[in-house]
Amino acid sequence: MALDIRGLVDAKQGTVDPRIYQDEEIYQQELKNVFARCWLFLAHDSQIPNPGDYMTTYMGEDPVLVVRKRDGSVGVFMNQCRHRGMRLCRADAGSAKSFSCSYHGWTYDLSGNLVGVPSEDDAYHNEINKAEWGAIKVAQVDNYRGFIFGTWDPTAPPLIDYIGDFRFYFDAFADRTEAGTELLGGAHRWVFPANWKFAAEQFCSDMYHAPISHASAVLALTPDDQDVDEEVFPMEGMKGRQFSSELGHGTGFFVESGDVLANIVGQKPADWFQGGNPEAVERLGDARAQRMRGAHATLFPNFSFLPGINTLRIWHPKGPNEMEVWAWTLVDKNAPADVREAQRIGTGRTFSVAGMFEQDDGENWSEIQRVLRGHMARQSSFNVQMGLGHEWHDDPDFPGKVNRVYCEMAARGFYRRWADMASGMSWDELMASVGAAVEVSG
Amino acid sequence: MTAQLESSPVTSVDAELQHQIEQFLYLEARFLDERRFEEWLDLFSDDIHYWMPTRSVRYERELDKEFSAPNEVAHFDENKRALEERVTRIRSGMAWAEEPPSRTRHMVHNVIIEPGDSPAELLVRSNILLYRGRLDRDVDLFVGFRQDVLRRSEDADYGWLIARRAIYLDQTLILAKNMSIFF
Ligand code: FES
Ligand SMILES: [Fe+2]
Repeated sequence: MALDIRGLVDAKQGTVDPRIYQDEEIYQQELKNVFARCWLFLAHDSQIPNPGDYMTTYMGEDPVLVVRKRDGSVGVFMNQCRHRGMRLCRADAGSAKSFSCSYHGWTYDLSGNLVGVPSEDDAYHNEINKAEWGAIKVAQVDNYRGFIFGTWDPTAPPLIDYIGDFRFYFDAFADRTEAGTELLGGAHRWVFPANWKFAAEQFCSDMYHAPISHASAVLALTPDDQDVDEEVFPMEGMKGRQFSSELGHGTGFFVESGDVLANIVGQKPADWFQGGNPEAVERLGDARAQRMRGAHATLFPNFSFLPGINTLRIWHPKGPNEMEVWAWTLVDKNAPADVREAQRIGTGRTFSVAGMFEQDDGENWSEIQRVLRGHMARQSSFNVQMGLGHEWHDDPDFPGKVNRVYCEMAARGFYRRWADMASGMSWDELMASVGAAVEVSG
Repeated sequence: MTAQLESSPVTSVDAELQHQIEQFLYLEARFLDERRFEEWLDLFSDDIHYWMPTRSVRYERELDKEFSAPNEVAHFDENKRALEERVTRIRSGMAWAEEPPSRTRHMVHNVIIEPGDSPAELLVRSNILLYRGRLDRDVDLFVGFRQDVLRRSEDADYGWLIARRAIYLDQTLILAKNMSIFF
């Protein structure tokens, strides 16, 4: 029986069927139709600065090697030997001249071409065509302002079109100065016993959870003389905005609130992010440089970040019931040393496996997942209706489809895109629906 | 035979001192396991640096890059105030990762004592095995070693203060949904 995946998400009514988080068959469709087709974030330029530098990561559940080639370009290929399928490289990162398989010794160059086969003359009688047996290459690789993305799908639209109308918001994080951004060394990596979509959706669309889920951290980090409701997490939705892209991306932030960012990540990085970097203000304009405060964001499907807090992370799917979080800390290349240092400490202290904010997210997602083991628990839909029908398209400062900050519009956009993709809709259809939506919204 | 052992660096530490330091570390473990976090905080000097680097899988020739450096990201990079904020958070009753609370058992082993930078300080290395049970089915095991600087202090209730702690875990990818506990 073919599964009607599109029927599991009703963006018009604001409901999702919980089986999308738990069903093995849906998960396989997701790996095939979402993760093997979308542009996925792979690495930041600063992680592999020199020729031969590499890191290993995943696209969906497929392991890939991301390598800086001699000509400065980036090669991405399956981390799998073509002989019998052994994992080529078993380190997280390093520097190499070539990659030699530990099983029988086939050797690949920095582009993934097969360049060496032991006993090629004697054992293979010089009859193996090495050109045919290179590592499987990722179909398209592109770099947006230092962020390296790849897709397995040769027919996927260009990265810039895939980012689409989300670019305005992504730039507030990625395109702040001519010199660009870099990642601090080291990574937070950990396992969550929960479906990756809980995390991606939350970063896309959920400011609503913050005052409740993170009440303890907000309390611990708010100075005694501050009023949390007024100055940190205002409960008035019009004090913030949420944006939803037809492409599945989303973000939300406060436009008026004093100290949400400073209380989380520290005064110095907050001041620097919100107007203290003059080049960023010039480049981004007042709205984005000073009034996107305490923002959350997801670039569909599984790349999320918090502008200002400056954590970025990939939610790697590991079966329907588990994900791995790989998180890094971003700084402007031109940030002063004291801002960098405060960012390094402030981000790690709040958003990481031991982070004072992030600890509590794990409790929510893993317990939802456990509840979904129950047959009856999967029979009724989840509610994603907040702010339904209340969006506007003519905000003077924030373009596209926007809404109040406490809203689930971006979650509806995320799940609708996910359902369209997971059900196998073609890129022509996927991109046509975007064009139509943009026309409607003028 | 005896003479040989006595001159060996292995036994150069006074047995009484070894005993005292071990008892101090056991007391600390007990405070944590009994959730006496305020008393636990009092065991640290005001200039404490409490640090746990991240770790990655590297080939042998690049093992020097295995742990994140002091100017890179860390799991913990805390001063006294930050440790106090973590305790305030846990005590708020709304720290959902610790409400209901985790059950921890800190096992401290292989305590090795060396002279510190000043006569008042000791370098103390210990292995830890930390069990954490949560809710009804969560089980996490953390294994690693700690490098502490212990400072003699007449004002301290227990005669010593922990002035530095570096914790090196034997996991790269952390196999737990959070680290809402102390090491
Ligand atoms: S599997 Fe790699 S050389 Fe045989
Ligand atoms: Fe959260």
